[in-house]
Amino acid sequence: MKKKQADGPSRREAIIDSLSLPKDVLLGAIKVTLTGSQEAWIENYKGILEYTECQILLQGKNCQVCFEGQRLCIEYYTNEDMKISGCIRCVRYQ
Amino acid sequence: MVGILEFLKGYVRIKIWGVSPERFLNLCSNKNILLWDISKNGNEYTMCISLNAFRQLRPIARKTGVRAVILQRYGLPFFIPRLLKRKVFLVGLLLCVAFWIVSYRFIWDIRLDGNYQISQEVFQDFLAAQQVYVGMQKEDLDISALEKEIRRTFPEVTWTSAKLNGTRLEISIKENDAPIITEQPREEGGQDLVSEYSGIVTSMIVRSGVPMVKIGDTVEEGTLLVEGRVPIYNEDATIREYLYTTADADITVEHTLTYRDTLPTSYIQMTYTGRRESRFYLRVGSREFKLPQERPYLVYDTVIQGHTPAMFEKLSIPVSWGQYVYREYMNVEHEYTLQQAETLLTEKELQFLTSLEEKGVHIIEKDVKIEESSACWTMEGQILVEQLTGRLVPTTVENETSDNGEQNE
Repeated sequence: MKKKQADGPSRREAIIDSLSLPKDVLLGAIKVTLTGSQEAWIENYKGILEYTECQILLQGKNCQVCFEGQRLCIEYYTNEDMKISGCIRCVRYQ
Repeated sequence: MVGILEFLKGYVRIKIWGVSPERFLNLCSNKNILLWDISKNGNEYTMCISLNAFRQLRPIARKTGVRAVILQRYGLPFFIPRLLKRKVFLVGLLLCVAFWIVSYRFIWDIRLDGNYQISQEVFQDFLAAQQVYVGMQKEDLDISALEKEIRRTFPEVTWTSAKLNGTRLEISIKENDAPIITEQPREEGGQDLVSEYSGIVTSMIVRSGVPMVKIGDTVEEGTLLVEGRVPIYNEDATIREYLYTTADADITVEHTLTYRDTLPTSYIQMTYTGRRESRFYLRVGSREFKLPQERPYLVYDTVIQGHTPAMFEKLSIPVSWGQYVYREYMNVEHEYTLQQAETLLTEKELQFLTSLEEKGVHIIEKDVKIEESSACWTMEGQILVEQLTGRLVPTTVENETSDNGEQNE
């Protein structure tokens, strides 16, 4: 049973890879688009866990993404996507 | 575009604080409420939210233990009630809009383009006769009828176009560049070509008629060059009849022109004293308003410095203002030096020679001198030129008979 669970995602990924299907849609992977170190567009997140001027922690389906920097600001925030601007120093997956 | 839509719908900048602001943001996004410009200042979050969405915030705020207050209101729903309080401004705005709407129904400027032979004044008179004037209503103008009338009244106009550009009537015309050839009545007795100058014939090309001179001949003014009466001979060399035609030939004559030009020894120069006065004016259409004023100086000239705002010019509103500047001057008499007189007279001579060359006159040599007399400088001399000659005169039958007899002899 354990083996099945361990093999499950890899098999699914293999099928998605072989069919060239978008992973962000089918696996629910968080999608981050960075433009330099000033702007970031994020899609496929579940919500904000923490927001300060120096850190924004987002909850994805499978992981959490943390943006660290200075003067971080959310330019817009919707159910679909959001945009972060400011001086982004680090993007960390937890 | 999104900014404009949000402005039209109205939005507010709010401040939130409390137990779980992050959860507040997440619940807003789950309910499809757009938030933008989110920033954190200490324990408070500020953000923008549309007016409709703000009304849905109460349950979310209660659920998340967050308090929200409005910091600033933006957009038309907030602007209009504020505007309605300013009644005078509103009336002014409405009057202004009404003024533009009403004034747009009239023609405030007429521009003519492409006229060279037809003067502006003549065309204005024509437009006045056609009841086309500044201040008329646009709907009273029949553009196609006006175009037809322009072509009918001015035969030299080959193409015309009139169009309304805003409140301006723009008329473009194209005149016939080539001269209008009118069919001349054929002379029954034919026409001779006679010399206009006294000189030596240097070249001849005869296209029609009988040449009476040859290259190298000396001719006087009025000498017959080409005769328009062409004899037709019988087989026995006697003249059967005469065919009358208009003589046509290119004949060049080398002759001397006398050139004389004078320049007064003294001249008057305007010397400004530096004193000046100015008066403001306002011009509306053809009427001008300014303060009445007596003669400012004994001798003065006037400079008008006008100004039309760019907006008025674009909208063809005939309102302008400016000032009249009166500048006092004195008439001071000076005398020309020899060098100045030489320069001025040489310039005038050069202009004369250039005008001759433009007429096709070939200048062979010139001999002019400058002399000073009691009251003026005089430039005088002879210019040897070569130019086309030939003036048409009617052939008279009595003279022809005698001429013919002489020639036969």
